[in-house]
Amino acid sequence: MDKALLLQLIGSAIAVGLLVGLSAWARLARPTPPLDVDGALALLAEEFPDHRVDSVWLAGDGAGLVARSASEALVLWRRGDGYVARSAPWADIVANGANEGRIRLPGIDGAPRLVLGHQPWPPAETAA
Amino acid sequence: MKPAFDPIQLAIPFFVVAIVLEILLARFGKAKANYEPRDAATSLMMGLGNSIVGLVTGGAIFAASLWVWEHRIFTIPMTAVWAWVVLFFAEDLTYYWFHRLSHERRFWWASHVNHHSSTHYNLTTALRQTWTGGVAGTWLLWLPLSFLGFPPAMVAIQKGISLVYQFWIHTEAVRRMPAWFEAVFNTPSHHRVHHARNARYLDANYAGILIVWDRLFGTFIPEDDAEPCRYGIVRNLADFNLFTNVFHEWIGIGKDLAGSRSPREVAGYLFGPPGWSPDGSRETSHTLKARWRAREALKTPLLEGEGGARAEGVGG
Repeated sequence: MDKALLLQLIGSAIAVGLLVGLSAWARLARPTPPLDVDGALALLAEEFPDHRVDSVWLAGDGAGLVARSASEALVLWRRGDGYVARSAPWADIVANGANEGRIRLPGIDGAPRLVLGHQPWPPAETAA
Repeated sequence: MKPAFDPIQLAIPFFVVAIVLEILLARFGKAKANYEPRDAATSLMMGLGNSIVGLVTGGAIFAASLWVWEHRIFTIPMTAVWAWVVLFFAEDLTYYWFHRLSHERRFWWASHVNHHSSTHYNLTTALRQTWTGGVAGTWLLWLPLSFLGFPPAMVAIQKGISLVYQFWIHTEAVRRMPAWFEAVFNTPSHHRVHHARNARYLDANYAGILIVWDRLFGTFIPEDDAEPCRYGIVRNLADFNLFTNVFHEWIGIGKDLAGSRSPREVAGYLFGPPGWSPDGSRETSHTLKARWRAREALKTPLLEGEGGARAEGVGG
C-alpha cells in the first residue's frame, strides 16, 4: 500500500476516534427518561399511530414496553438515546418466559431483553 | 484526464472543523445538535469505509466514463465558463434523479439506506456514506454527461462540489436561510424533511444543490414547525453494528429472493418500491402516506365541527 495513503487512513481513523470522544464528552444525547404510562402511550401513538392500545406492560427500568393491540404485540425498547419499534403476534411474545429477571424476545431482530418490574409477566390479562 | 483536484479530499479538514464546531456550540448551548457517540462513530466509520471502497471502485468507474467520453457526441472544453454553468445544472438534475431512484426502487435503496439509518441529524450524518454504490451501479446515470462531451474529470469535479455542498445542510443548528435562498437552494430545513421518517415527509426533497428540481417535479415538501422531523428509517435498526448498517437491506433482498415463487415476485422484490410485497402486507411509503392522509382527513371535520359548535355557543 502507498505510504501516503496508509498515513491518510491512519490519520482519518485517529480523527474519527477524537470526534467520537468529543461527542461523548459533550453529552449531547437526547434525554430519554424511564418510560411511565403517559410516556409509553405518547411513544406508541408516534410509532403505531393506527393501532388501538388495549394494555401496556412496562419494563422495570422503563427502557422498554410491550403493548397489546388486539392480537398484535407492539414492542418498544431503548437503543442509545432513542427507541426501536417492532410488532409481532401477541401469542408469540407472551410465550417467552422470564429468566434472571429479564424477558428475552428472540423472535424480534435485535432480540431485546426487557427488565422485569412490578408488573407480572406474562401481562395479567393473559396469565390465565 | 484525471481530475486536477478532488473537492471532497480538499474539504475533509473543513468537515472535521465544522463537526468540532457543531459539537462545541451545542455543548455550550449556542446551537441545536444531538449526538449519540455510537451513532456518530457508525456515521464516521461509514464515511471512512466509503473512501476505502472508493479506492477500489473509483478507478473502474472513471475508466468507464473515459471510454464513454471517447465515443462522445460533442467536444466540450473544460476551460469554458459556459461549459461549467451547463454542467452545474446538468449534474444537479442527474443527482436529483439518482437520488429519487435511490429512494423509490429497492435495489438502489439497498445501497442508499445506510445514509438514512441514523436517528440523528448532525454533520456526521453527512459522512454516513454507502459502501455498495459501485455495485448498485447508480454511477451509470452520470455517463450520459460524458457521452454528451463533458470530460470525465470535469464531471468528477462537479460531483465532488455537489457532495461538499451537501455536507453543511446536515444540521439542526441552522433553522432557516433567507427566503430567497430557501426558494432556490437545498437547505438544512429542506434536507431535514428528506431525512425524516414521519409519514407526511417520506419520499421528498431529493435535491442536491438546487431545490427547484423538487418544486418542478412535485416532490417538494416544506418543513412544518408544527410537526418536528423524527429522523431515521421507517423501521429503525435494532443496533449500531456497522455491518448491519451497511448490508441489512441487501440481506433482506437476498432472503426475499430466496422465497420468491415467480418472476413477478423477483422483479417486485428487486425493483419495486422499498417495502413492496406480493400480497401488499408490508408497508411502502405510499401506503404509509395514504394512512397518514386518512388520519388527517378524520381530524379535519372533527375540528371544524368543534369550531362550529364553539361559534354557535358564542353567538347564543
